Amino acid sequence: MKLLTHNFLSSHVKGVGPRGFPLRLQASEVRIMPVEFNPDFVARMIPKLSLGEVPTEPIQGYEQNEDFLRTMHHILLEVEVMEGTLQCPESGRVFPITRGIPNMLLSDEQTEA
Amino acid sequence: MSDIQEATNQLLDVNLHENQRSIQMTESGPGSESEHLQVTIGATVPTGFEQTAADEVREKLRSSCKISKDRGKIYFDISVESLAQVHCLRSVDNLFVVVQEFKDYQFKETKEEVLKDFEELAGKLSWSDPLKVWKINTNFKKKKTKHKKINQNSSKEKIDNGQGDKRDEKDVKKEFTNNALDSHILDYYEKPAIKEEISTLVGDDLASCKDETDESSKEETSPEVLKFRVTCNRAGEKHCFSSNEAARDFGGAVQDYFKWKADMTNFDVEVLLNIHNNEIIVGIALTEESLHRRNITHFGPTTLRSTLAYGMLRLCAPQPTDIIVDPMCGTGAIPIEGATEWANCFHIAGDNNPLAVNRAANNISSLLTKSQTKGKLSCGLPIDAIQWDICNLPLRTGSVDIIVTDMPFGKRMGSKKRNWNLYPACLWEMSRVCRPRTGRAALLTQDKKCFTKALSGMGHVWQKVHTVWVNIGGLHAAVYLLKRTPQAFVHPSEQDGGRTPW
Repeated sequence: MKLLTHNFLSSHVKGVGPRGFPLRLQASEVRIMPVEFNPDFVARMIPKLSLGEVPTEPIQGYEQNEDFLRTMHHILLEVEVMEGTLQCPESGRVFPITRGIPNMLLSDEQTEA
Repeated sequence: MSDIQEATNQLLDVNLHENQRSIQMTESGPGSESEHLQVTIGATVPTGFEQTAADEVREKLRSSCKISKDRGKIYFDISVESLAQVHCLRSVDNLFVVVQEFKDYQFKETKEEVLKDFEELAGKLSWSDPLKVWKINTNFKKKKTKHKKINQNSSKEKIDNGQGDKRDEKDVKKEFTNNALDSHILDYYEKPAIKEEISTLVGDDLASCKDETDESSKEETSPEVLKFRVTCNRAGEKHCFSSNEAARDFGGAVQDYFKWKADMTNFDVEVLLNIHNNEIIVGIALTEESLHRRNITHFGPTTLRSTLAYGMLRLCAPQPTDIIVDPMCGTGAIPIEGATEWANCFHIAGDNNPLAVNRAANNISSLLTKSQTKGKLSCGLPIDAIQWDICNLPLRTGSVDIIVTDMPFGKRMGSKKRNWNLYPACLWEMSRVCRPRTGRAALLTQDKKCFTKALSGMGHVWQKVHTVWVNIGGLHAAVYLLKRTPQAFVHPSEQDGGRTPW
């Protein structure tokens, strides 16, 4: 699971709503997969991410800052969590990540009716 | 753009500009006119997606298409130098070069007379240019591996799973750059568009042929007699003959004319005789195996053709950095096609079934292995797989730009009864995760009744923009293109567990 994907995941446990983001990530095994750097892709993706409380001023002009973009590229696309867990910050429910695939299935009580 | 396309573009000195898509029929040839042979190529496409395929041809080959009344076929003219690029088209299943087209063929009254006409026809056609094209094409087409002895209709699963593993091993051992013609798995990425590599290709082809089991030598090795077969497809109510009879008699005449050997299974040349009412097209096949077999090595029970997946994705007009999700991905055919063709988007494949998710992950790995053997440095792909429940997606509200999925028809997968609850729940949850105003969805289903009913209660979030009628293994299905309305999704109160769509 790439960290970019992690940014789009949010807990769907009953009653949690927007407080289910972001899922707490614990990785026991990680691999780095090189991906061709595309500055446009990274620059355009950043507004789509949910980055929490981020002051707007220092961010201005990030599109031109290649170092920043390369760092974001590496973090978002090249780091893959192979084994680990995702935890709902509100309910504490844990979802395993096995062979790079998170299992987000809930048991019946935890789903919304 | 893939390496192949970049290389081809350099060769042809063509600039693809977005704003030139509307220009009709501008055949931009290369600098030299030396081999400037113009040919008409026919392509079979998934029925319903003829227009999408025509758009792709216009975009990539700068050529306009004629869409045949015989559903599922398009025709376009190209210069023979573009042949390699034609094999790179993502929306076509099979290709053939047109020998002759008869728009309004006059059939005689009796069967004997009609068949006699077909016999005489063989000698009257101008075969030389199409055969030249066929010859050049043998370097570009993906070869059918000999010991499988299948035709395009046979079941893919067993064969491909077995082949997949063998192929991967073989390819790792051989020192290929991008010339693995013998592989079933390595697909159009390995088709070079650079003329200098043709001879290398032929050499590798010879080498790979020796590795294959026994059997017929390729035409390049010696000037032996060619083997051929005639395939006749006939549609129409007023014909007094059968396709077999036509194929047999036309074939007999072809054999007499060329002195080729007839062989129904191990043929070099496949002559096509397509008869649709009064329209007859004689062609020579340019693909041995349908191009829709790319991408997938691990098939599931309802794997979608990659050409159909391409068509559905293209309908949504993906923009750079779009987040494209298939929440019921099965073997992952759609996201995988997406990751290869729209690599500047991010694709997420999800399914509730662990078997499906694993298959999808395996198919992704195969794809990665493929690009690694190509010698590409970058081996990551913009795609991830997750196990989840479509009715309760662990995705942020309004974060997805495009949803493309093949919904359970209720035939081989699920049941019609189950669809009654599943479809509304799906549409509802998809409307939550889909970005308001700009988001869109392309949903394939055969259970049109259930879908229409489910959609009818959701006009405030989904607007139906377009419907494409398609044929999936004989079933009349539809691809519904939906647009997400500007209305934001209203979260139910947190105490209230219900999110009923009705």
